Amino acid sequence: MSRIQNQVKLPLSVALDVVLQGIRIRFGRSVVTIMGVVLGIAFLMAMLTGQHIKESVTDEDALRREVDRMNSFLVAEMGPVAERTIGVLQSGKLSEQEERFLARLERDKVEQINWSSATGVDAAPLLSGSAVRKAVAVQSVATDAKAVLVVGDGTAAPADMQAMVSGASDTQLIVAVSRKAHAASIAEIASRLDPPPVILERELKEDELDKIARDRRRGRFRRNWIIVISMFVTIIGIANAMLMSVTERFREIGTMKCLGALSSFIRSIFLLESSLMGLAGGVIGGLFGSAFATAAYGVTYGFGMAISSLGVLTTTLDLLFCIVAGIVLSIIAAIYPANVASRMVPADALRSNI
Amino acid sequence: MQVDRKKLEALFAPPDTTEATCVIRAVDVTKIYRMGTVETHALRGATLDVYRREYLSIMGPSGSGKSTLFNMIGALSKPSGGKVYIDQVDIAQLDHNELAWLRCRKVGYIFQTFNLIQVMTCLENVTLPMSFAGLDPEAAREKGIALLKRVGLGHRILHKPSELSGGQQQRVAIARALANSPEIVLADEPTANLDQKTGEEMIELLDELKQELGVTVISATHDLKMLRKSDRILWIEDGRIVRAARPDEIDFSSSEFDPG
Repeated sequence: MSRIQNQVKLPLSVALDVVLQGIRIRFGRSVVTIMGVVLGIAFLMAMLTGQHIKESVTDEDALRREVDRMNSFLVAEMGPVAERTIGVLQSGKLSEQEERFLARLERDKVEQINWSSATGVDAAPLLSGSAVRKAVAVQSVATDAKAVLVVGDGTAAPADMQAMVSGASDTQLIVAVSRKAHAASIAEIASRLDPPPVILERELKEDELDKIARDRRRGRFRRNWIIVISMFVTIIGIANAMLMSVTERFREIGTMKCLGALSSFIRSIFLLESSLMGLAGGVIGGLFGSAFATAAYGVTYGFGMAISSLGVLTTTLDLLFCIVAGIVLSIIAAIYPANVASRMVPADALRSNI
Repeated sequence: MQVDRKKLEALFAPPDTTEATCVIRAVDVTKIYRMGTVETHALRGATLDVYRREYLSIMGPSGSGKSTLFNMIGALSKPSGGKVYIDQVDIAQLDHNELAWLRCRKVGYIFQTFNLIQVMTCLENVTLPMSFAGLDPEAAREKGIALLKRVGLGHRILHKPSELSGGQQQRVAIARALANSPEIVLADEPTANLDQKTGEEMIELLDELKQELGVTVISATHDLKMLRKSDRILWIEDGRIVRAARPDEIDFSSSEFDPG
């Protein structure tokens, strides 16, 4: 007489076969369930993408305004830049804003930019693409120049500053610094300059900074709130669809149990089915959502702007996040229905006439 | 209170190991279904023995607890009271894992409503229990085809159940019940949803298979043909076994067997 043994645990591939077959046969219902995931995830992705576009458009806008402002400050001091020579004393790396500012000067037809970099700074990439930028020694930066700009994230050495002022051919040389951080290094030469040095960086008052931070926080909070609600809606939608799927399959589940299926097998069927649907819904929803957000913001800000403001990396990360969210949400939603299915006593499952 | 000593002894005695021919033993089995506050006593102490390789028929009016008894002796649900031994193992002692093993290999089920899985082909329906038993797909496929050929459906192995007639579906169900070479086949009114001729064919097939494979067949039925072929007939009434007889002891022409 053979003894009672433990039923073998089936590999997941068997469950996967059953699930794929089920999805294929009940394609219509599966599509409806997937559409639920697609809607939820598309919403999530649209929110994320929209946020990125909006932020980068705002940043771009602020940057442009700032460059404009720096330009008008300089022009107010020295008059139009066209056909004049300007010196640049670079210490360390340039910020995006500084680069744009210098490019703006070139666009305004500055005749020549005498470029001198502090030791150890590689200025070659900045010089190579331009016809007006000329690398010069620090003594001749101010030669023939109406103004000298001190730029970069380093601090200009006082010796360089002295040398620069000594080489000036214009007695009314204007020295402008792009950052407040340079204020200390120009303090020493301030006595030798007729018009006092100019600081181009805008000083934001504390309450202004506060307001900006507060607005961002508030925007984020609002967005997160909407995302959380949309996730709940998605979870409930999927759970509902999965429960339907369980009720509709009472008989099938009962039959499988009669034939020796373990509860864990039944559970894994439902979890697997749901996570596959979550995967499909996540991919479709993510693509759809980002396309929708890009199109919607493209209408407002211009398509070029909307598309260029989406980094490849951030978009890929968002998409991955959405796919993972789709799968995780679907699994969470399927836990209860899967438990209902797996706990059914075979006799009860067979008795129901659905 | 009067104690039924015989019943009590049967209840507490260890399963009789010398009597190896007894495959299923049910002792004083009760089952109560609760629907809210309403209690339904489906079984009120059914006691029966089933011997190896016998063909046992169970008769009884609808609502007498036939199906419930089937579920109990087939390990499809647990009794509220009493004991069920399958192959001398008390099924109340088994966890769900061992119960699944038992359902998979010891017992084959044939249902009144066939209960084939509609989304699978005939072959997949037959090989499903084999894959639950851990048989590798190639061997399962071969055995499945052989079984379907044996029940006369060799030409329909890749059809879906919905494309088959009732009789053909029941043949698939019989092949599926035999998939893991069980010792016991439980058939709950297997001919009830079939017309007379197909029903007879089914009875013939079951009988042949029983002779061939030496399985124990337990069926609930009203079908005279089936009753005549069986080795023993039990009557169940109001949740209790009330009578047992051999077919040759019974007058099949009596009014009790009038159809309708």
